[in-house]
Amino acid sequence: MAVYDLEEQEQLDEIKTWWKQYGGQVTAAVVILALGVVGWQGWNWWQHDQAVQAATVYAAVERAASERDAKKAREAAGDLIDKFPRTAYSGMAAMISAKIQAESGDLKGAKLQLGWAADNAQDNAMRDLARLRLAAVLLDEKTYDEALKQVASDPSSPFAARYAELRGDIFSAQGKLEEAKTAYQTALTKIDEAQKAAGNDQRRGQYRDLIQVKLESLGGKSS
Amino acid sequence: MFDYVRNNRRIVQIFLALITLPFAFWGVESYIRNGGPGVDVASVGSARITQAELQQALREQQDRMRQQLGKDLPAGMLDNPEVRRAVLDNLVNQRVLSMHAAKTRLFVSDAQLGATIQSIAAFQEDGKFSRQRYDAYVASQNMNQAEFEQRLRQDISLQRTLAAVREAAVVPRAASDRWLAALQEEREVSELLVKPEQFAGQVKISAEAIKAYYDANQKSFETPEQLRAEYLVLSQDALQEQIPVSDEEINGAYRSQAERFQQKEERRASHILLLAGKDMTAEQIKAAQAKAEEIHKQLKKAPNDFAKLAKQYSQDPGSAEKGGDLDWFGHGMMVKPFEDAVFALKENQISEVVRSDFGFHIIKLTGIKAERAKPLQEVRAEIAEDLKRQGAAKKYAELAESFSNTVYEQSDSLKPAAEKFKLALQQGPWITKGGTAAGVFGNAKLNAALFSDDATKNKRNTEAIEVNPKTLVAARILEHKPAVLQPLEAVKSDIEKHLVREEALKLAQKAGEAYLEKLNKGEPVDLAWGAARSISQISAPGMAVDALRAVFGGNPAKLPVYAGVKLPEGGYALYRTTRIKPFAVAAQDNPRTKSLREQYERIQADEDFSAWLAAVRLAYPVEINKAALESKERQ
Repeated sequence: MAVYDLEEQEQLDEIKTWWKQYGGQVTAAVVILALGVVGWQGWNWWQHDQAVQAATVYAAVERAASERDAKKAREAAGDLIDKFPRTAYSGMAAMISAKIQAESGDLKGAKLQLGWAADNAQDNAMRDLARLRLAAVLLDEKTYDEALKQVASDPSSPFAARYAELRGDIFSAQGKLEEAKTAYQTALTKIDEAQKAAGNDQRRGQYRDLIQVKLESLGGKSS
Repeated sequence: MFDYVRNNRRIVQIFLALITLPFAFWGVESYIRNGGPGVDVASVGSARITQAELQQALREQQDRMRQQLGKDLPAGMLDNPEVRRAVLDNLVNQRVLSMHAAKTRLFVSDAQLGATIQSIAAFQEDGKFSRQRYDAYVASQNMNQAEFEQRLRQDISLQRTLAAVREAAVVPRAASDRWLAALQEEREVSELLVKPEQFAGQVKISAEAIKAYYDANQKSFETPEQLRAEYLVLSQDALQEQIPVSDEEINGAYRSQAERFQQKEERRASHILLLAGKDMTAEQIKAAQAKAEEIHKQLKKAPNDFAKLAKQYSQDPGSAEKGGDLDWFGHGMMVKPFEDAVFALKENQISEVVRSDFGFHIIKLTGIKAERAKPLQEVRAEIAEDLKRQGAAKKYAELAESFSNTVYEQSDSLKPAAEKFKLALQQGPWITKGGTAAGVFGNAKLNAALFSDDATKNKRNTEAIEVNPKTLVAARILEHKPAVLQPLEAVKSDIEKHLVREEALKLAQKAGEAYLEKLNKGEPVDLAWGAARSISQISAPGMAVDALRAVFGGNPAKLPVYAGVKLPEGGYALYRTTRIKPFAVAAQDNPRTKSLREQYERIQADEDFSAWLAAVRLAYPVEINKAALESKERQ
């Protein structure tokens, strides 16, 4: 028994020396870890809180949209963008509000909100979509060069056909028929590529037909 | 072992500390979540789609298809690789959407969920949310409340996404105008068909060619494989007949379910209504009240005139004609103030003037059916049926597995199973491989099992197959006719006809192409063109898509212009366009243009959504387990 105690005593000493040497570092590591966890939880909590608040304002945007009240929609969406720009709601609100503005003839308001979403919306897909819609509004406004600038850059691949189609729309509105044909042809190719990747090689579909009709109306043959 | 622990205490301590840490911060589930058997059909990011989920979604899809397209759809249409693939794709999309919503914190709060539930018309009674209706609806969907609300949350979240991504699509007018103009442009076109029949006479087919075709296509000259089988059917419906139900059991059920057979109190009343809804002005309401009081006074003097006065004054069109009679009703069927008044009256008594949301009522109670228990005699058959059904379900569940085992273990005869389960051994008709048949043999799985080597060559029973819900069938072959190649003599003339046709088709197409070339060069060709008719891309009766593309694909500088297209069955078609009448989109759309424009906008909006969804999907790697997807259902 005594031998045993002695052995324990030795080990205890060993631990004490070890602690003297490394104790500070271990404490520091634990504190940093704890702070990290607390910070992470706090960040999550803050984001959650932001989202809850943003959701209430977003409901107001939705309500205004369903009542087709352009002014209210613009104000509520503006409020959301000012206060909670980093939530997903802000981008969505900009989209909904822009649609109402465009419908009520306020293209300038629509441009502002879509422009904000194209640069600041939280996810990639939403930014690509906002840019596409911004270009569509610019086309309606007949500011063709501005519109082209928006859809000239390459979006994420699923939007490639949409962007190419809109380029075709802009060129044909400008009367640049050859450029328009090339753009529509690009859109068709992108659609075919996407369908092929999904294991479907039929070259059909409403959307494809729609672009084809526009292409052929320019005197362009397509396969 | 313990020596090791003692000697290396520090290592053990550190190890213990390490495994405790995750528990402290993330809870136990971080260890359990990744368990489970590897039967997932797909994974989406860190989430999985299980075989059971796929089967469930597939069943729902099949139900929808049956509802839309009729009950007797062939099994192949309900379950084939494309359908499975589409259903799975849909599940993946749902999963991606809900993960994306969670990641971007687009959750639906309890308050929003509550507001939505309250606003759904199906859950309302008299314009107010009714808890009973809500519970009844949820139960009718075979869900509990938590499941239903979870699903509703997903729906709301999806609607919200759709509003921003699809409904808010901006469609430039210049682009839709171009499409509308192209679709409605009219062209005057004559058609000429170069038919293969015209060339059949020129075709000579040699005996060698026929032989060569016969040799190369032997499979198609085989008579189909056929067989006849005997079979056993174990079904819950048949079991139901055999379940004995004793009087004691019926009595017992009657007593234990007393509440179910309780008939609630019902009352019958007549009323005189003077309308005073929320949309009326204060004066109008006052006038209605005064009128009601006056009628009430008259009734006090002559209570027996109630029906007459109701006919004269009541503004409830449904009941006024019947002297105000509303027929029998129970609790909860009338608005609250009305109900309270009715259930406080004695028979033939007339109420004071009662105010409800509709207006002012004067009510006369005309009958009372007291609460009573339905006598056993009335509900006996219903109870017996219930008990039989429950018994049969239980029995079926007991027998199903043992039935499957028996036919599998004693696979050289169905007799043991027939004796053990007291089933009649039946004989089926001749059936063909992959063919259709009536009754249980119409089941594709059973057909495949019977024509498998195991059944045809090894003479084994098929496994027990669920041909319908709660119906198992096991079969074995009685007679089998393998596929037989028909002799050349028997099919010679068919082959010849086929080859002549093929050759003539080629000649017709060649001739058509030659005509087109000449026409395009401006050389005169003597052709019997059909009458010119005016067509557009949306209105060209009888024209194939390819032909339409050929005619409208191009913006010719001078007319006439010619186009030609191969017809897969009919040879070659030539088209001569002589006039083009462009369509001008007016500032104000006519009805057809309007509906086309809506179509254009819808396609564009749908495309916005699918592009967005595809872009979102990029962030969640989707892996599909092909083997699990294609495996036939075995839960």
